[in-house]
Amino acid sequence: MSFAPKPTAFRSRSDSDDTDVARLRVVDPDTYTDWESVYRDNIDRLYRLMYARVGNRPDAEDLTSEVFRTALGPLRLASSKGEVRSYLLVTAQTVLAAHWRRTLGLSVTSIDPEADLDALTERSGPEEVGDAPQRVGKILASLPERYRRILELRFLEACSIKEAAHTLEISVSNAKVLQHRALRMAAKVGLEFEQ
Amino acid sequence: MTTRRLTAFIDALAAGRRPDHYHADPEDAEVLRAAITLRAARPGDAMPDDAFVAELYKSLADERSTPDGSNVRPLRMRRTRAALIGVAASVALIGATFAATEASNNGATTTSAIPAPHGKVLQTATFETSQGRAVGQIVVYGGSPGWVFMNVDVPTSDGMVKCELRMMDGSVVAAGTVDLHHGSGVLSKEIHVDTNRLQGATLYSPSGAVVGSATFA
Repeated sequence: MSFAPKPTAFRSRSDSDDTDVARLRVVDPDTYTDWESVYRDNIDRLYRLMYARVGNRPDAEDLTSEVFRTALGPLRLASSKGEVRSYLLVTAQTVLAAHWRRTLGLSVTSIDPEADLDALTERSGPEEVGDAPQRVGKILASLPERYRRILELRFLEACSIKEAAHTLEISVSNAKVLQHRALRMAAKVGLEFEQ
Repeated sequence: MTTRRLTAFIDALAAGRRPDHYHADPEDAEVLRAAITLRAARPGDAMPDDAFVAELYKSLADERSTPDGSNVRPLRMRRTRAALIGVAASVALIGATFAATEASNNGATTTSAIPAPHGKVLQTATFETSQGRAVGQIVVYGGSPGWVFMNVDVPTSDGMVKCELRMMDGSVVAAGTVDLHHGSGVLSKEIHVDTNRLQGATLYSPSGAVVGSATFA
């Protein structure tokens, strides 16, 4: 429970008050003063969350834009920062679900406003990228060497399928098959880690 | 049946492009989730682009400063591409004036003229449906920064139309969304791409269907 002062109305002016002083507002450190501060404080983290859910920059940018456009209109600034972030996450959850519905017709990833709240709090600094690299490292380490290597080449080292095939000294067709099998096994291993 | 589309989706993810829509099988979901998890872990890609953060901020500020909450003004198709080019040229001129003023204020002594837009600096194209019907025009100004201007006219539609710019290497860049009012809308926006490598642009409905596409000459 926070005992920080809640935002109050402007102080009433009296004869002895200087005009500027009278117009000073008590700022609650637990609330946002304007939409710009909501934006600045959350844009990086919200984008990162979206990027982790869709895996590509164009979609992450569009969805992040959609969340802010949808959320900022009805946003009540008197709400606490935590409430604002929860509201942003609920909006992001809806926006992402609609994205998958129209893109693939089924949900591939989702946002849980409660479980993902940490992603929007100060505890995750702007430089941090969550535990994704560690989780991916564990998944890759569990795979057979060839599977691990093709996924590293394609997804972490930005190789085309042709380049990956060349590195592994196999045909492009074989590289595609290898990638498909490796992804299926990575999906299975990922599920086992989650359980 | 969807293996090829699944592969194409994964290829796009690996290449950092926006994947195409398709009707996925439930068993695809786990594979796609694994591909997204792997791709999202690539070092250096998780942070938003500075230009995107700045553009979205500007766009939100513009929306909040207009009474109807929209920065898109209806524009009928009878306003021709020439009008769009006029807008583009005006912005180019404003940019040039600003640059000249800055140079003057900074005490620059060079007297070289600031070039007016010409040649590939302004690129134009018409959005057409797959049946060849014109549904809008697009003008790209290749200055620094670059700008894109477009008008869209789809008489039977309202709502948002999304525009993507296609680059010559196959990648796509989101150009923004056009709000259609009674079927018409315009968009003008700063863009941060190499406009010399632009191939064209595509308009998508909210359901992902292609509304029209344009190819630069």
